[in-house]
Amino acid sequence: MRTRLIAVGAALGLLACGAAACGGSGSADDRALTVWIMEGTNPDSRPFFKEVREAFTERTGADLKVQYVPWPDAHDKFTKAMAGGTTPDVAEVGSTWTTEFASAGALTDLTERTGRAGLDEDLVSGLREAATYEDRLYGVPWYAGVRALLYRKDVFDKHGLAAPTTWKELQDTAVRLKTLEPKMIPFPVVGDSEYALDAFIWGAGGQLAVEKDGRWKSAVDSRKSVEGIRFYTDLATRHGVSTKAAATWNEADLVDHLTAGRVAMAVSGSWTPSAVLAAAPELKGKLAAAPIPGPDGGVSPSFLGGSHLAVFNTARDQDLAWELVELLSDAEFTAKWAEQSGYFPGQRPLVEKVRDGGEPLVAPFARQMLEGGTTVPTTPAYGQVQGRKTLAQMVQAILTGKKDVERAAADAARDMDRTFGD
Amino acid sequence: MLAPALLAVAALLLWPLGRVVWMSFQDYGLPQIVTGTSNYNGLDNYADILGQSYLWTTVLPNTVLFALACVTLTVVLGTLVALLLARLSPLWRTLTASAIMTAWAMPAVTGTYVWIWLFDPLGGAVVTGLDGLGLVDAGDTNWFTDRLGFYAIATLNVVHHGFPFVAITIFAGLLTIPRELHEAGIIDGANAWQRFWAITVPSIRPVFSVVIILSTIWDFKVFVQLYLMPGGSGANPDVLNLGVWSYVESFAQRQYGMGSAIAVLLTLLLLGITTVYIRTLFKESEEL
Repeated sequence: MRTRLIAVGAALGLLACGAAACGGSGSADDRALTVWIMEGTNPDSRPFFKEVREAFTERTGADLKVQYVPWPDAHDKFTKAMAGGTTPDVAEVGSTWTTEFASAGALTDLTERTGRAGLDEDLVSGLREAATYEDRLYGVPWYAGVRALLYRKDVFDKHGLAAPTTWKELQDTAVRLKTLEPKMIPFPVVGDSEYALDAFIWGAGGQLAVEKDGRWKSAVDSRKSVEGIRFYTDLATRHGVSTKAAATWNEADLVDHLTAGRVAMAVSGSWTPSAVLAAAPELKGKLAAAPIPGPDGGVSPSFLGGSHLAVFNTARDQDLAWELVELLSDAEFTAKWAEQSGYFPGQRPLVEKVRDGGEPLVAPFARQMLEGGTTVPTTPAYGQVQGRKTLAQMVQAILTGKKDVERAAADAARDMDRTFGD
Repeated sequence: MLAPALLAVAALLLWPLGRVVWMSFQDYGLPQIVTGTSNYNGLDNYADILGQSYLWTTVLPNTVLFALACVTLTVVLGTLVALLLARLSPLWRTLTASAIMTAWAMPAVTGTYVWIWLFDPLGGAVVTGLDGLGLVDAGDTNWFTDRLGFYAIATLNVVHHGFPFVAITIFAGLLTIPRELHEAGIIDGANAWQRFWAITVPSIRPVFSVVIILSTIWDFKVFVQLYLMPGGSGANPDVLNLGVWSYVESFAQRQYGMGSAIAVLLTLLLLGITTVYIRTLFKESEEL
């Protein structure tokens, strides 16, 4: 009965959606364009899109219908729309979904148009790669966030500590914090977060998976990857700078504990500081950021997550759809959106400007993005690997002592290859 | 006369059911959704599922043992509370009934989060309390990572959410038992335990059967209470049951064919259990 109620609710939601909100591309007005924008990136995107709509109508004479889709429902909603043929003309698509939708044949190839518009050169490479499927570009990078180190500046200052610049320093700092601040968690190793781990695999010179002759093969069990996994999980299992509770945390739990002031240093997203400060204003001025160091200095690569602007195949007027993509990608709108949402623009020169701005909670993330922004394997099957939580399973098994690092990595690699092989 | 209703039932229930079965014989993913084509792979999905040791060593034992534990505890607790209700004065009965109704009325999602908070390894009420007593070491305990601990917490949650329904239903059944039967039992010298098994249970056996069947069906397909728990959405492969596994396979990995096949197996399992129950039920009513 409980489940049935939920099902009825969902069905009603669908009906309401079919009747009113999600009109899709089948509208009567020939010169109207539908666009889906993710809700939750920008605290209030309405004023921004009011401006966009005016500019769009002025530029093309056509009307623009903006529909907001909350992030957690978005993938399902896209899938349903594809099944029902009600996809929008243009949409903001999460950067890890783009190749999946492209391989399913839902998106328009934008390679030529992007080249002609001269947008090509400036695109942030990690995001560009994430939109590329079989050497064709299916999305224009719009904005992105990146993970770097966030730490408690007040705590570090009190004990004369500095942001770590090598892995050894990272480990030593965390171990020292353990005795200096016994009430805090020095460096949580979060079990259910693939992206924090990825930075250490890449930092050690390893790969998640490699493509050879069009076939993907897992590389998490390679010597270098295992080295990265070992360093990261040893922080918890050997050096005790995490907590057992963190083995079942996800990133949202981490943010909760950062907000509660219990965490001294953590890998966290560039969008996290503003969320933490909004919930805990007393931490103002007490947080600082730094890039995730490489083993011997420099910057470890870190996952760039964000959005592409994509055009769906179902869009009847492809030129008009492209006009909107171009309009949203222009420097003024991009910069404004980035400023309002707290994310970084998808174009390199704009990010460089932010890095050089020197804002203590923003500039280090921009540096991380420019020097280490990268993406997960761009095969649609990788979405499936993430759905299976193969890497989270690996980390949890190590953290809880169910498997040692080699065995966990070998199992994860086998599991991943099985998914690639499907 | 019945035609419109039957048509509606067919459209709402049989068509989706048929589609799930049809999809379970396919390798059905996003490309099939977009193009609307079919991609049959025969019995591959079923062979894949049934051939996995993961199903036999983890998912199936989790599902069956968890459901058994939940049904037993729910029915026992529900019966005890019903007997209690029957003995209370109207005022206390109303108060008690309202209190247990709150547990029932609480949405599963909210209830689950409350249990997660209670058992939170850092600062949860249970850990803090036991730490105060010196029984566990807060900060060095995480019950969610352990299969048994995980399911113990989930069982508490499901039983707490499920027993009020059982209690109220059985209480309603108790009211139908003529008072004279119990009085006669007392005169014959039967104690409360004997009267319960000799009078109460036989008089309202159908009520028990209904309650057990419904609880079994619900507890076999528990989803929310497990999926929302830390590690329950796939990060800890030791704790998936059939419902969550089906979801993780189909929606999280976009392998709708595979997920459908698991759903079909779950349906068949439930159908089997229900058939056995209903047959015993009918047999008993014939005997009466």
